[in-house]
Amino acid sequence: MPRQLRSADVVVVGLGAAGGVSVQPLAEAGLDVVGLEAGTWLDRRDFAPDEIRNNYRDWPMLVKKTFNERMTSRATEEQSANRIGGHPMMNAVGGTTLHYWAQSWRLNPWDFRVVSETRRRYGAGRLPAGSTVEDWPFGYEELEPYYDRVEREIGVSGQAGNVRGDIDRRGNRFEGPRQRAYPMRPLRWTAYLERMADAARSLGWHAFPGPAAINSEAYQGRPGCGYHGFCSSGGCPLDAKNSPHLTTIPRALETGNLRVVPRAHVTTIEVDSSGRTTGVNYVTGNEEFFQPARVVLIAGYTYENVRLLLLSKSRAYPEGLANNHGQVGRHYLSHHQGAGVGALLPYDTGAWYGLPAQGVAVDDFADDNFDHSGLDFIGGGNLWAMSDRRPISAASMGTYGRGRNWGSAWKRFIRENVDRTHSFYIQKTTLPYEDNYLDLDPQYTDELGLPVIRITAQYKDNERAIAAYMQDRAEEWYRELGALEITRGGLGNTMGASTHAYGGTRMGDDPETNVVDRWGFAHEAPNLGVLGASVMGTSGARNPTLTVQALAWRTAQHLVDAWRDIAE
Amino acid sequence: MSAAASSRTQMSARSALCALAFTVCLPLAAEAQATFVVESPTMRAGEMMPRDYSPDGRNVSPPLAWRGLPDGTRQIAVICQDHGAGNPPPWVHWIIYNIPGSATGLPEGIPFDESRPMPPGLEGAVQGANGWGMPMYRGPAPPGTSLHHYHFAVFALDAELDLPPGLTRDELLEAIDGHVIGLGSMTPHYRRHPENQEIDP
Amino acid sequence: MSDKPIDRRAISRRDLLKTAGAAGAAALIPGAAGAKEAPASVADTAAVRAGPAAAAAAPAGPLMNLTAAETELLSAMVDRLIPSDDMGPGALEAGALRYIDRALSEAESDSVEAYRIGLAALDRYARYSRGAPFLELSDEDKDSVLIDVQLGGATGAGVGFVGSSGAFFNMVKSHTWQGVFGDPMYGGNIDFIGWDLIGYPGARMRVSEQDQRELEAGQLPPARRSAYDYGQFQLIRGEED
Ligand SMILES: Cc1cc2nc3c(=O)[nH]c(=O)nc-3n(C[C@H](O)[C@H](O)[C@H](O)COP(=O)(O)OP(=O)(O)OC[C@H]3O[C@@H](n4cnc5c(N)ncnc54)[C@H](O)[C@@H]3O)c2cc1C
Repeated sequence: MPRQLRSADVVVVGLGAAGGVSVQPLAEAGLDVVGLEAGTWLDRRDFAPDEIRNNYRDWPMLVKKTFNERMTSRATEEQSANRIGGHPMMNAVGGTTLHYWAQSWRLNPWDFRVVSETRRRYGAGRLPAGSTVEDWPFGYEELEPYYDRVEREIGVSGQAGNVRGDIDRRGNRFEGPRQRAYPMRPLRWTAYLERMADAARSLGWHAFPGPAAINSEAYQGRPGCGYHGFCSSGGCPLDAKNSPHLTTIPRALETGNLRVVPRAHVTTIEVDSSGRTTGVNYVTGNEEFFQPARVVLIAGYTYENVRLLLLSKSRAYPEGLANNHGQVGRHYLSHHQGAGVGALLPYDTGAWYGLPAQGVAVDDFADDNFDHSGLDFIGGGNLWAMSDRRPISAASMGTYGRGRNWGSAWKRFIRENVDRTHSFYIQKTTLPYEDNYLDLDPQYTDELGLPVIRITAQYKDNERAIAAYMQDRAEEWYRELGALEITRGGLGNTMGASTHAYGGTRMGDDPETNVVDRWGFAHEAPNLGVLGASVMGTSGARNPTLTVQALAWRTAQHLVDAWRDIAE
Repeated sequence: MSAAASSRTQMSARSALCALAFTVCLPLAAEAQATFVVESPTMRAGEMMPRDYSPDGRNVSPPLAWRGLPDGTRQIAVICQDHGAGNPPPWVHWIIYNIPGSATGLPEGIPFDESRPMPPGLEGAVQGANGWGMPMYRGPAPPGTSLHHYHFAVFALDAELDLPPGLTRDELLEAIDGHVIGLGSMTPHYRRHPENQEIDP
Repeated sequence: MSDKPIDRRAISRRDLLKTAGAAGAAALIPGAAGAKEAPASVADTAAVRAGPAAAAAAPAGPLMNLTAAETELLSAMVDRLIPSDDMGPGALEAGALRYIDRALSEAESDSVEAYRIGLAALDRYARYSRGAPFLELSDEDKDSVLIDVQLGGATGAGVGFVGSSGAFFNMVKSHTWQGVFGDPMYGGNIDFIGWDLIGYPGARMRVSEQDQRELEAGQLPPARRSAYDYGQFQLIRGEED
């Protein structure tokens, strides 16, 4: 029997990007909050600029929960699923934001209205066959105040492009209107990034610096970015990367209303006979506990959110919690991060000291920012040119058919070319489809013997067409820059596991096709809230986290505002 | 040769290679239809290649010799490929081009090391990227004990092209398109020795 | 399980005391008495003691995972991967072997068997295909053998590679690159040989706009520091060297 603990108002499962933000509005409103986090506290002394530790030995993933429950993956139901080798999501207070890239984008207005906008502009026939995409239950305007709040609470640097309808050409002219500028100026550009921006402009495109949850200058008593080059999969030794473990979680702790329990691995959610949640079971070391709470918020990232629900079977929910409509695990999608484009340039790029959130963005081919009339897809991609290089990986670059990647001739090659490569990161629209989904694997389990997630998902024609179209644009950009060689990755098939995974507990007004309502609470179990990209029904062409955090704040604020209705 | 005459006799590199590929299963016919003769002092069409041209031996490039090049040959390119491997086929084992038109063949052991000079008479010749992305000869290693055919295709070109090193097969074929005035080929085969499969204790 | 709020400073203090010993941990905590040197503040990028470079120049000492014969073979292979030549010192001078040996004792301990089997297969393959032990081959023949190992041609030769010979090659290459181009604290990259080869100006905590401009002009002097020369990462403090 698990040990029964004192009841809390709210238990939050997972203190990452989403859970870590939600605790501030909850605790500040005076609710008694327990944060159960499978990982541990880490601080800046843990974050040495050390490529071996970060990028080769995966040290940041010190607590191995994500590794132990790594999923299986297949493209279609006909195939058998193979277990993946590892996954870079992090278990720690602050979650993956400790070592993520920290690009902090808002979605564009189109992403909330894919169905109605596509119908209006091109006709219903242009929605890809088999897609289960729906409009969000609200528009960009509804989320804007929360984006604004989180940008300030967390700290986001960037250049506004549209303040209340006034277009600023230095920023992204395609963004939805924002009520005010970013709290910090954007991260700086290097000479090479300036050159890239010039090349984009000479192609008639609109280049601008991307937004980052990284201090470009001192903010909230913490210093500006040191540009030291170890940001990718590494934590910040200066505390300039704005994870919740430095911002919203300490603020919640200061109220005295939040208890953080590290190394607490939640296994299942309990419900009563009426189907309301009563608390969660967790394991720490060899001990088992039951944490009762009036409201349960799960925030363990997309795969774990779905898994926790599917593992929590009861009389009220024989197929898993909140799954009486069979929607848990459905509408899964992830960003197509393959299909990259790389180049060898005839000049050095000065990229040794940079970070993946420092760069030049072009949004001309994202979302519906361009006319799709003559094209065979909807949506698009954001072209992101960053400045990031570390010695081991740089010295491991390909030789573009020029010879062996070792030996004396290679030494000459590498000395000349090590700082002359560049590659694009292209974030692209992915839609949900009826046959892309998550469920429990029938064979593989984690170290507690619980089944892991099985991913059955494939990029379809729309995603592949976007990928090819974006590769052409990237190639144009590199030609303008005088590239000597250009390489393109394959267009992709199996969707696989992702750091940008969406859906599985989609948000919407219709309980037949959505697990949670417009506020993030389960249609079937009203005192269960879900935080994270698992509630998102579209991906947009940009990284998810700022949207995840804005949604988490909104769900938490709604809980505070509607406490009586939800908790009692 | 006048420009008009040369354009009449030029064939597309791609169609020429397709024609050769087609005749791979009929090696004798291929030799007969070739516009010039390709042979080797150490290999014969339709017979086993010596082990030294494979990773069972020293894995050096085999010697080739050609005769009866068309008039006006200014440069030569060679591709060695296996039409029974690769996805999509062929798998490319070797690409060498910018070979002077005066050359009558290639000696054994063209350097695999980019920093070593080409043998005398082959000045300017460079190697393209094979199926492994390496600008060098790497010989047959067919899986298990299967028998594969290795098609050495020799292109006579009407121009001195000065192509950069490291071209892939597709890039080379595109670059020589419209300059091919003659073709020759030979297709020996190879099978790894069954005794090679034994692990000695 | 305590029901009290958890103070993160207390946690980290406790964890540190466990791992580093009371005296060592005290030195980490700002303001703690008895620290030999003032710990570097976040903003302070100065090294507080000599880097590992000096220590690393010392002889490698005993290797813990491979026999003398295996070490000799691995040396010969690693020496061809990044040779010492007119471009400067190579992987052996950079301490790649010591890096690999240490890695095999720690993070890469699962790979010891793969090294053993792979090295034996490499030598057998050299005898089988080139008629002589790997160590007796000319540099050119060693390279040719290594190319066949890398590209998988040695796989079907029946000399004992498990899976593809390329997997063995890639493992050794990857570890060698880590040893040559990684942080010197792991035993490789002696005298910053690897970072000098590729012109990487070294681990820094802060890079100002001015530094970036100097980098772009090719004028930024190398930092010549390990990450662990920066005070905030010196968590285990033994005797001063
Ligand atoms: C290398 C990398 C770079 C990235 N870069 C960017 C970027 O630039 N921009 C961007 O927007 N996104 C980026 N992402 C994605 C980003 O990290 C995620 O969108 C974000 O962290 C998701 O937030 P989350 O709270 O859902 O999950 P997480 O931040 O991963 O937090 C989940 C937390 O829940 C805990 N947890 C899980 N299960 C349990 C359980 N059963 N019991 C208790 N605790 C549990 C975990 O330990 C973890 O701490 C990146 C990801 C990676 C890996």
